[in-house]
Amino acid sequence: MTLETQRKLNDINVMVAGQGGDGSLTVANLLGVLVGRSGFRMFTSRDVASRIKGGHAAALMRASIAPRGCMGDALDLLVAFDEEAVERGGPWLAENGFVIFDSSGGPAPREHLPAGATVYEIPFARLAVRDLRRDLFKNSLGFGVVARILSVPDDEAADVLSRRFAHLPPRVAEANLGALRAGFAYADDNGLTEGAGPLTLDRAAASDRIHISGNEAVAFGFLAAGGRFFTGYPITPATEILTWLERMLPRFGGVAIQAEDELAAVNMAIGAAMTGTRSMTATSGPGISLMQEGVSHLGSAEIPLVVVDCQRSGPSTGMPTKPEQSDINMVVHGGNGDFPRIVLAPSTPDDCFELSVAASNLAQRIQGPVYLILDQAVSQDSVTTAPFAVDAVQLAAGKRLDADDLSATSEYRRYAVTDDGVSPWAVPGTPAGMSLVTGNERNEWGQVDTAAANRVAMVDKRARKIAAVRDDLPLGRRWGDPDATIGMLGIGMELGAMAEATERLAARGFPVSGLQPRTLWPVLDETVEFIRDHERVYIVEHNAEGQLSHLIASVGAPHDRLRSILKYDGIPFRPGALAARILDAEGVAR
Amino acid sequence: MTTTYQPAIPIWCAGCGHFGVQAAMNGAIRTLEIPPHETMILAGIGCSGTVQNNLGTYGYHALHGRVLPTAAGVHLAGHLVHSFRRNASFTYVVMNNGVYGLTKGQNSPTFQSNGSAALEFDAISLGLSIPSTTFLARGFARWTDQLDRLMLAAVEHARAGRGFAFIEVLSPCVTYNDTYPVWEASLHDLDADGDHDPADRAAAFAKLTALAETGRMVVGQIYLADDAGPADPLPRPAAEDTSPTTNAQAYAELLGRYRV
Ligand SMILES: Cc1ncc(C[n+]2csc(CCOP(=O)(O)OP(=O)(O)O)c2C)c(N)n1
Ligand code: SF4
Repeated sequence: MTLETQRKLNDINVMVAGQGGDGSLTVANLLGVLVGRSGFRMFTSRDVASRIKGGHAAALMRASIAPRGCMGDALDLLVAFDEEAVERGGPWLAENGFVIFDSSGGPAPREHLPAGATVYEIPFARLAVRDLRRDLFKNSLGFGVVARILSVPDDEAADVLSRRFAHLPPRVAEANLGALRAGFAYADDNGLTEGAGPLTLDRAAASDRIHISGNEAVAFGFLAAGGRFFTGYPITPATEILTWLERMLPRFGGVAIQAEDELAAVNMAIGAAMTGTRSMTATSGPGISLMQEGVSHLGSAEIPLVVVDCQRSGPSTGMPTKPEQSDINMVVHGGNGDFPRIVLAPSTPDDCFELSVAASNLAQRIQGPVYLILDQAVSQDSVTTAPFAVDAVQLAAGKRLDADDLSATSEYRRYAVTDDGVSPWAVPGTPAGMSLVTGNERNEWGQVDTAAANRVAMVDKRARKIAAVRDDLPLGRRWGDPDATIGMLGIGMELGAMAEATERLAARGFPVSGLQPRTLWPVLDETVEFIRDHERVYIVEHNAEGQLSHLIASVGAPHDRLRSILKYDGIPFRPGALAARILDAEGVAR
Repeated sequence: MTTTYQPAIPIWCAGCGHFGVQAAMNGAIRTLEIPPHETMILAGIGCSGTVQNNLGTYGYHALHGRVLPTAAGVHLAGHLVHSFRRNASFTYVVMNNGVYGLTKGQNSPTFQSNGSAALEFDAISLGLSIPSTTFLARGFARWTDQLDRLMLAAVEHARAGRGFAFIEVLSPCVTYNDTYPVWEASLHDLDADGDHDPADRAAAFAKLTALAETGRMVVGQIYLADDAGPADPLPRPAAEDTSPTTNAQAYAELLGRYRV
């Protein structure tokens, strides 16, 4: 390969796939570190079967100079450890893409690959090194070939590998370096000489960045917002929040508990929240279903709690490892009775961090439930981003009374009717602050009371709490051409694909403007105005019934301007496909 | 003096066992001179779930069947712990009447379908089978002297941080399931039984089982671990300094782990 025929990339999409438990993620991780050194940002994702060992598993990685929040349209490189990986990844390979295939069991099934693809068949098994775990070996060997394809100097690849294995016994590290060299040797035999592969990587200035998932960012935001009590019950794709906080909270004097089920989880969190400790619980759709009574109780008894829903495909147990946004109806409307609640919906990890902090503060201010809803992709995909502004975090305590405040007043009514609906409260243990807390309708003292006038006063008081914070609710993110007549709107994982589809459409002379509402409930005026300001708005969402679209229409957005773009196959949008759906809907030739 | 809510007058039917339970709880709090702001009574939904309204302490009305996890949350978050003393535990009182009183008399899981006195579902036996149990007692609403004594012992046990104190009170519902006569006739008082050693778990279990087979129920201090000392101090999240400035350094270090 001469330098003239090299393709220089500033955006590369890679899939490493094989059987689950086979260590497919390692090559992707190594590659991530390698391209990170060239100033690339990373988007990493997984596609796994819902079982522990076995089943198809793929690590997806996109490295780009521009920040990207989704996989690109086509794969540039596929590292396939078995035939199934070729079957699944092949149709998604670019016309001029590259494949590294473990040919121990026979040649690559070419019928699944585009005609222009270049395939390197490596019999990993025959090159096997004794005393070496085969999966590690495969990964190191494969990484050697990948480095040559990308024209990376051998020393640089070796350095990345050595650092990766630095914490392992020298014997293991040395064996892997041996495997890497076997990869180089194989590459030499196949015309892939050092520094002269078919692809090269662009370079950008490296800056201070972190690589983190949405779930980790939510957990971090909770900690930074002073959260010190967490309960959870394991469920995909929310479990990482539980495990992160189980590790971290004890170091900050906090407590994280794995409860016996979601009913116990929400009620324990309610108990902790009553003591004034900032508390949170996290689960996915099935757990949120079980927690509905608890959430309604938070609204009635006026107890501050953050409830996280990492949405997955439903209904019922659905497709546990696949993303969906089909709990919108449940979180916005679920639970018995009328009660105030706030629903926030972050997209990227930095958004997850910010909204997690906002959710904790808002829960204290409204003394009630605040939902934070993610989807599997937002929860579990990791993105390279600027470090979170941890030192900018501020805590809003809400209206609290301590012993001094109480001694200065003649009366303490836990549920005092106030102008903004928020009743100042004293936590249990505060002298002279004795109170009754109940989910039943009650009077200002907390005593059960079903008198009509009291009932109306209490429902209205609780409702006013939302109006009191409305102006401080997080506004949406915008992109695209503000003067465009066509709009695009979506939440969570749709942001990455929508923002990139907007660029594609603009390049085709079709400008659109975009909005990612971050406050889902109450629906903010800006959302309704966004619909009014455009002739048509495409509502992009992952569910079959258009739940987001119905929600927006229900608060007065003109129905005739809304166009649903729905997807419920468990696969995130790719930017090109999304742009194509909009062009098709607009009747514009692609 | 700050005026807070006025304790309520119990809503129970005359003769309801729950009066005995409340009197014993009140007695224990008064005897130990625990200020009302250092006590929190959490109760479920039902006739039993109104007792917290009547004593002037902090009170919480839990969701139906969920009082235990909520109490655990309050306990683990630790603000009350801070007010009592470090690592105090809590007292759990089961008011057993075999029925759902408030919803007008349907059978509850502890209903004795065969008309006998022996409990078909016995929380005390269950408690005995759990190694970490430290305090198990059963009282009868009408045997007030003993009930007062047991309640006091339970609250003291919890306050001393010796662990979770479980006390079941046979508290008949005169309106829907008047078990006063059957229960009273079948009680075997362990406290009056010269050869019962409450520290002997196996003997307690054997006795309970043997008596149940003859249709009798035990009351008294059934089990009390003799080695139940204060457990390791628990964290107290409610008392932690969570200010961003105090924790800035630690948060920055944590963020550093994600640097690429
Ligand atoms: C989820 C739910 N289901 C049913 C009820 C209705 N309910 C209210 S009180 C009660 C039974 C109360 O019985 P128990 O706890 O034994 O107390 P008691 O009234 O006998 O003292 C029931 C079933 C409820 N409040 N919540
Ligand atoms: S109905 Fe039964 S349990 Fe309820 S107050 Fe009356 S006697 Fe007590």
